[in-house]
Amino acid sequence: MEYRLKIDDTIIPVKVEGTDTDTMTLSFDGKAKNVEYSRISDHQIHLIIDGVGIQAFIAGESDEKTVILRGVPYEVSDADLSEQVRKGKRGPAAIPQEVTPPMPSIVVRILVAEGDRVKTGDAVIVVTAMKMESTLTAPYDGIVTKIHVVEGDKVMPGEILADIEKDEERPTEEEDGLADS
Amino acid sequence: MNTKTTIRNKGQGMFTKILVANRGEIARRIMNTCREMGITTVALYSDADRSAVHVLGADQALCLGDAEPAASYLNIDKIIAAARETGAEAIHPGYGFLAENPDFAERCEKEGLVFIGPPSRVIRELGDKTIARQTMIKSGVPVIPGMNRPESDPEVLAREAEMIGYPVLIKAVAGGGGKGMRVVATADELHDACISASSEASGAFGNGSIYLEKYLTRARHIEFQILADNEGNIVHLLERECSIQRRHQKIIEETPSPAMTPGLRKEMGDAAIAAAQVSGYVNAGTVEFLLDENGRFYFLEVNTRLQVEHPITEMTTGIDIVRYQLEIAAGHPLPITQEEIKGRGHAIECRIYAEDPENDFFPSPGKIVFTKEPSGPGIRNDCGIYSGFQVPVEYDPILSKLIVAAEGREEAVNRMIEALREYVILGVRTPIPFLIDVLRSEAFRKGETFTDFIGCHFPDWKPERADAETAAIAYIIDELAGKKERPVAADREGVYSSPWQTLGNWRNG
Repeated sequence: MEYRLKIDDTIIPVKVEGTDTDTMTLSFDGKAKNVEYSRISDHQIHLIIDGVGIQAFIAGESDEKTVILRGVPYEVSDADLSEQVRKGKRGPAAIPQEVTPPMPSIVVRILVAEGDRVKTGDAVIVVTAMKMESTLTAPYDGIVTKIHVVEGDKVMPGEILADIEKDEERPTEEEDGLADS
Repeated sequence: MNTKTTIRNKGQGMFTKILVANRGEIARRIMNTCREMGITTVALYSDADRSAVHVLGADQALCLGDAEPAASYLNIDKIIAAARETGAEAIHPGYGFLAENPDFAERCEKEGLVFIGPPSRVIRELGDKTIARQTMIKSGVPVIPGMNRPESDPEVLAREAEMIGYPVLIKAVAGGGGKGMRVVATADELHDACISASSEASGAFGNGSIYLEKYLTRARHIEFQILADNEGNIVHLLERECSIQRRHQKIIEETPSPAMTPGLRKEMGDAAIAAAQVSGYVNAGTVEFLLDENGRFYFLEVNTRLQVEHPITEMTTGIDIVRYQLEIAAGHPLPITQEEIKGRGHAIECRIYAEDPENDFFPSPGKIVFTKEPSGPGIRNDCGIYSGFQVPVEYDPILSKLIVAAEGREEAVNRMIEALREYVILGVRTPIPFLIDVLRSEAFRKGETFTDFIGCHFPDWKPERADAETAAIAYIIDELAGKKERPVAADREGVYSSPWQTLGNWRNG
């Protein structure tokens, strides 16, 4: 098994070579490390790497986890998973669920106009929070009926940025969006 | 001293019930002392704080309603009504919110409730920074060169700035927490800076009045904790140095100050007591000074409340400041004299905010996914969070205050570094890795701490992420080594959400 993990914009390829119940051999660029581990809780793992002990504290899901080591946080993401997201190859379950910005953000780009037809997963609005941009995508196929923000607006978590009329709820069958009503 | 303490412990003339008009870690800390003294506690909370630590630990808790501060923790009518309803005899305001609001203190006085703090008149006079400066000048306490009355005329301000000499510091008359403060280096920046400072002050304090002071580029922030009883006895509990600041807000405090000498301490301590005396001070307060490189000190302001960083003083003097606040408010005389107050060892506090140190300390509210507090000899954590707690966006983003004490400064610094490394908070950003690097820096270790420290030594800080391979290992093991068994529904929560969560910011048209 092989991972390509991204930390601080650097891709780190890791090969999982041997696994046992509580040990694992991982190799970095041909250099093998022996890891003994013990899961303490959902967020805490004790590691003994080539004989040296360290505690890791972890939160997040497969696409991105925060790992804290001796007070320093590392954002670790799976480069292969994020590429799939870019190519739109992930299944419906992988569509980002949290469209609420996790913190107060600023709208940087609006990628659709009122009346546009969008498909599930289409990028709709890009916001930035702490210099990190995140793209808010359509949760289902439909038509953008109203956009409540303009570029530069400050938005808070929970704020509704755009209305999308869902396809099933429309009495008419799908058309070019603006054509019928 | 001991006999007096014993007699007072019998509870003669002590409150039986106290309402704490604050939230989070400070409300919890105040209630701890109340409980030790056998006093029943009443907590107040807003809709956002139903499950906050101060509510969980209180004997009684009353909801104030909407999370908006004006509707809750700043709402004088609701708070007075809550005190009436619960039969509390006294109100402790903590810090922030109504702690330095003279109208609130006055209202308590009129309603026959004891406000645990100085009389409203003292709060009002010291709360106006220009009046406070005039008072100090009269009593011979040195003040920073600058104006002694507010000014709004740009021409007068420009003239004053020339007289004071650039760089100047714009300050809000009602100031606090760095709001309405601007450093101005040259004359052509003055006008715009005054407008923005005034508008910020107006938003923060409802008073846009500003004045100018000389800006001291390389100075230490040194403050003295004072205690004053109703009979005119005043003592100081030594100094705290709080020079490590970002956005004019303290993040690391220590006592004693590495710059202090016995002679200077005596001189500054006397000035602090004089400041308290001339203003008719009663209860606990803090007299703040700037100390320049040449060992000259200048009065800054008096904070008429319990200070955020009071725990370091408690750690070295052994005095419970909140307990003394209650004793003084109940009319008891101070049981100690200046000679009896001795500092022992060295204490440091680090403020842990929900903020991103890699991004200009921008607030980072959110849910605490997991937290693990450090423990060990000489470690105290005044904490306002727990695993699963949602940090409200409405209030000051302080999560906790980590305090250590050790025999000497070097030992305290090392103890703090290790305690920070052990302190885990997942879910929001915290300054923990930044604080570790500050404490490890040579400048800090040498005690070269001035208010420009962060700008000087850590302008574009990023943590050194030297252990990326270990982080990668942790990621993989977290993926492969199964998490604890959980019901499917719970497991999916947050990953696969209900349609309503899925809709999030969207609404069906």
